[in-house]
Amino acid sequence: MPRVLPLIVLLAMPATLWAGQPSGDAEHFETRVRAILKAQCWQCHGEEAELQGSLDARLARFLLKGGDSGAAVVPGNHAESLLYQRVTSGEMPPGKKKLTPRDVETIAQWIDAGAKSSRHEPESLPAGDTFTPEEREHWSFQPIRRPHLPEVQHPELVASPIDSFLLARLESRGVSFGPPAERAVLIRRLTYDLTGLPPSPEAVTEFVADDSPNAYERLVDRLLDSPAYGERWGRHWLDVAGYADTDGYTERDAERKWAYKYRDYVIRALNQDKPWNEFLVEQLAGDELLTPPYANLSPEQADKLIATGLLRMGPDGTADGGVDQNVARNDVIADTIKIVSTSLLGITVGCAQCHAHRYDPISQTDYYRIRALFEPAYDWKNWRPPPARLISLWSNETREQAAAVEAELKEVTARRDAELDQLVSETFERELAKLPAEAQGPARTARATATAERSEEQKQLIKENPFLNVDRGSVYLYLPDRLTGFQKKWGDLIEACGKKRPADDMVQCLTEVSGQIPATKLFARGDFNQPRQDVAPGELAILNAGLLTIPLGDPARSSSGRRLAYAQHLTDGQHPLVARVLVNRFWRHNFGRGLVATLGDFGLLGERPSHPELLDWLADDFMRGGWRLKRVQRLMVTSAAYRQSSNHREDLDAIDPENRLLGRMSVRRLEAETIRDSLLAASGRLENKMFGPPIPVTPDDVGQIIVGVDTRDSAGRPTGKVVPLGEDEFRRSIYVQVSRTKPLGMLEPFDAPTMTPNCEQRASSTVAPQSLLMMNSAFAVQQSETMAARIAREVGSDPAAQFRRAWLLAFARVPAEAELSAGVTFLTEQALAAAAATPTDPKAPKPDPAQVALARLCHALVSSNGFLYID
Amino acid sequence: MPHHSRRHYSRRHFLSQQAFGLGGLALSWLLREDAARATPPKPLLERLTYDLKPRIATREPQARAMISMFMQGGPSHVDLCDPKPELTKRHLQTYTGDIKYDNAAEASAKLFGTPWKFAKYGQCGMDLSELLPHLGQIADDICLIRSMHTGVNNHGQSISALNTGAIGSGRPALGSWFTYALGSESQNLPAFVVLSDPGGLPVLGVENWQNGWLPSLYQGTVVRPREPRILNLDPPEQLRGPAQQQYLSYLERLNHEHLEAHPREHDLAARIQSYQLAARMQVAAKEALDISGETAATHKMYGIDEPQTRDYGTRCLIARRLVERGVRFVQIFTGNQTWDHHGNIQKALPDVCQKTDKPAAALVQDLKQIGLLDTTLVHWGGEMGRLPVIQNEKSIGRDHNTYGFSSWLAGGGVKAGCIHGETDELGHKAVKDVVTHHDYHTTLLHLFGLDLERVSFTRPTGVGSLLDGQTGNVVWNILRRGPREEKA
Repeated sequence: MPRVLPLIVLLAMPATLWAGQPSGDAEHFETRVRAILKAQCWQCHGEEAELQGSLDARLARFLLKGGDSGAAVVPGNHAESLLYQRVTSGEMPPGKKKLTPRDVETIAQWIDAGAKSSRHEPESLPAGDTFTPEEREHWSFQPIRRPHLPEVQHPELVASPIDSFLLARLESRGVSFGPPAERAVLIRRLTYDLTGLPPSPEAVTEFVADDSPNAYERLVDRLLDSPAYGERWGRHWLDVAGYADTDGYTERDAERKWAYKYRDYVIRALNQDKPWNEFLVEQLAGDELLTPPYANLSPEQADKLIATGLLRMGPDGTADGGVDQNVARNDVIADTIKIVSTSLLGITVGCAQCHAHRYDPISQTDYYRIRALFEPAYDWKNWRPPPARLISLWSNETREQAAAVEAELKEVTARRDAELDQLVSETFERELAKLPAEAQGPARTARATATAERSEEQKQLIKENPFLNVDRGSVYLYLPDRLTGFQKKWGDLIEACGKKRPADDMVQCLTEVSGQIPATKLFARGDFNQPRQDVAPGELAILNAGLLTIPLGDPARSSSGRRLAYAQHLTDGQHPLVARVLVNRFWRHNFGRGLVATLGDFGLLGERPSHPELLDWLADDFMRGGWRLKRVQRLMVTSAAYRQSSNHREDLDAIDPENRLLGRMSVRRLEAETIRDSLLAASGRLENKMFGPPIPVTPDDVGQIIVGVDTRDSAGRPTGKVVPLGEDEFRRSIYVQVSRTKPLGMLEPFDAPTMTPNCEQRASSTVAPQSLLMMNSAFAVQQSETMAARIAREVGSDPAAQFRRAWLLAFARVPAEAELSAGVTFLTEQALAAAAATPTDPKAPKPDPAQVALARLCHALVSSNGFLYID
Repeated sequence: MPHHSRRHYSRRHFLSQQAFGLGGLALSWLLREDAARATPPKPLLERLTYDLKPRIATREPQARAMISMFMQGGPSHVDLCDPKPELTKRHLQTYTGDIKYDNAAEASAKLFGTPWKFAKYGQCGMDLSELLPHLGQIADDICLIRSMHTGVNNHGQSISALNTGAIGSGRPALGSWFTYALGSESQNLPAFVVLSDPGGLPVLGVENWQNGWLPSLYQGTVVRPREPRILNLDPPEQLRGPAQQQYLSYLERLNHEHLEAHPREHDLAARIQSYQLAARMQVAAKEALDISGETAATHKMYGIDEPQTRDYGTRCLIARRLVERGVRFVQIFTGNQTWDHHGNIQKALPDVCQKTDKPAAALVQDLKQIGLLDTTLVHWGGEMGRLPVIQNEKSIGRDHNTYGFSSWLAGGGVKAGCIHGETDELGHKAVKDVVTHHDYHTTLLHLFGLDLERVSFTRPTGVGSLLDGQTGNVVWNILRRGPREEKA
């Protein structure tokens, strides 16, 4: 029988320590002062076992009582209050950060108003978790309850339950949904949101002409079934997972050769519509679903290991020289906790590593409870660096094959070394022969003598005749062909031999070492040199931690079972945060803004949800519907809200300038990867090949990062060699290597995230470097030229036909008459200008003026807002 | 401390214009700034943002900008600026001291006296070789250091030591440190510009101007020796001039029509402006790089009218124009291993001197005459010198020597007409007033009014700085203001 103890027995549940509601308008301790003191003072005056100056600042009562220096507060007289004096003199808090003048003013007002508390305060407080009723009642910590659909005045406008919630709010403000978007706008919006790519011209034409009643629904189904769906939605998840193909942390930034399997797993899972409860359990504890040793795995079993790649995504410098191992290891654990907490809990627990969270009700003990979930796998005192965490997917048979090749390789290397030694000895003899006969004997002896035993004379002899030191490493310097023949011969042999070796096939995963469960200590001030009491694994105390039961030391298990228990707890349908956080992200990726705008912060400083009932309804429906994303996705994109026009309206702008109520769709800029992919789609170069090792990136001859193989020599000099990547160069951006130190020059200016360790929410900036990139970068210019060639191939030389095609490819719609005539004029003028232009390179064949004009047109279209934004 | 420029453009000329950043990787700084601004309101928990706004130095700075002429490969100091009569006397005799060779197979212990004549130049009486006649003309403006030392005998490591503070790779370049500490006085041009050579990138390639673990906004922007000079900032060849204007005006039309269809979308309007700004930036950079408006006399002074000196002269003149417009740090690299004379030194060394001597001297003279030398620190030097013995008797050359070599500095608070330090009688090792790379860096920071400890950056592995805990001393002897005047 496994010994299972409910966590509630292990942890003293933090009690609600005092009751009653704050009352009155006067400044009370709880109104603002408590938060200021919590953030600035409690670490030394309340949270730690030893009170500095014997002063506890957690209750008004304690401040009145004071510490070693006497009462901290004299009610009614801020000037005489020590608290006021210390913070205004700059003495407190120690360190650089001081209270703002406004904070000081608030404290003064509170003291002058009598230093009152709004409730009856207890006589004493235990150290550790103490929550106020306000904290306990924070919206996101409450259970998810399915609300009733609200009544609306115009039920005919409701296409999906989502609409009821949105419309009810709009109607309550005297407005309503906007008109439906035009069909061409709609297919472009939907295709981008579901696949991250523009619709093909044929798809646009077909959809615009299709007036069957369920044309839109069929389009939705087709796009949800498209393989590009997983690439699009996989990218969203990889942001929060902190996906990168390199280790980061130090400048070495070693490659993570096998990280891509996790990326592929995510894409496949989303395409298969794997239920998210399974998806999350696999990512948090896939290894615990299997039994070690992890050998001869089936693809399904391998997937469970690959899934734990989520927990291997953070920067990791522990395989690098020159790092403080203890710091680096603890940083890996901290980053992993950040990735898990921001992606799934929507809360930043990181601050609680060193002290209680300044704003959210998360204690330091809470932080180490979470840490204890991961420490059996990330045991900082028995660390496994990244290379030691790879697991081979080879079968036993493949292993034997590989061993045979290794043996052969060893034999060939031995033969090569023997031949090299022969060359060394021949060289020595040849050089020796150049010395006068009488010097040869002593020189030979000097060489044969061990370095430490050489006489002064022998040392001098060697200094004057450096060839006496000739060895395997320097012999090339004496040979006319510099060993190139030798190197070629043996290099080829070794390479041929190496080719027989079966290709490596590894998984980068998180596993535990059976029977090795370290005790997790709370680190005073986050300092691992100051370990304090043991902390048991568990859930954050504010989140009804009693629901999580962790198996303790079950000898039948090969792992601690902690992550598995936690993952099941997160996905058991009762957790207040997980489903809300997930559906909120899904919402944001369809509507441009989360129902909670701060995707990664559902805490006290995060934004309140714009539609709390809708969020809960969606979260509940998501779980009831089997945690299936495509189902929720269909609900969202078939809503009337999603199908609205994005046009502003006077009445709406007056009450809702930020479009929080969704009385229209928002105009959104394409993300970095989508811009690159769309350029490739427009030019016709986009390669649809899925999965596999990342397409490499490299600095070009000025240091700009481009797609390509790094051919610099060992001194970092460009060799000018180009290793053709073929079609791979034009694959979707999700397959391009994510290097933490070498962000792709085409993506970085458009807010592609830096994974430090992950990205909970992307920015969408509008800055001049983006414009310069579109105007002048080789990539934008080349793709425009390729697009022009494609158009000429597809529709011939008629300028009007060319223009229509270009317009359709760039904007997914047919141009209006005025647009057409302006465009044709542009084409004509440009062709004339190009014909008249003096060639820059007189030797090169003069380009066709019409083609130059068309390329310039394409360039303008893809640089324009119509291309860069979704209506 | 306003400076007095006769020129039309003052350093702050562009300051009133809108800020922007430059270049793909190099164009990223404004983006960062904006990204921080565009982030929805969040708890302000010490979110760090970086920019290139000018920052005040800790103490009153003597230098405000720096131009480093990096002579990659290792100029032979004993043949150029560190005369050794003893070496000439012992020409072809066997050297019995300790020597570290890079190429043992070709190494010899035979001393090789310089084949070139030395003479005294300037009132200070600086001994210089006939290979550097133009340097002789500015002898009274420069401070020659004859006792440089890094002690690491490979090109890459020694470059790293001098340009990043330590031999390891992946560290921030000097220019990155200065722009990180001081920002830039031009918001229309890159803060840290590298002028690369048609002869290829120096050893270590693009690492020479990397930001290392500083934010990428402090990475150097390369002005290439051919068009387009600055990637992304300059249109490609086929899109210059009217072609781009027509493209931009059609683009603007498209964007305006789009905006009319989407009224009140502020982001769309902002992007129209961002294209206009980008176009203005092109103009600013183009203007800075365009030397055609300089007088014939200036062209002549830099040797731009002669084929030998045209390239290097152009880059020196561009460097002056950049600094004049507020760029903080400019580094001009000679081509790959230009000065690495393992063999054929008797022909190759005069060649490279001819290409660089006149422009380098002109740069100092020009800065002086426009009143910018006082606040601009000019550096000339490579990552090493050469050995006093022969390498390769068949084609005489000299092997690496990082134990004693020469560099010179001018302007920016450095004494003029000054000679500092000595190598031994054969020019092998620095023996008197040795200046290590740490001393050199400490002195640079001092001249820029920066405190050693305060120019640091917190990274996951701890606090990083240019010296990273190594000891360096200010070389007071080469400075105009001594320690007493500093304290006063």
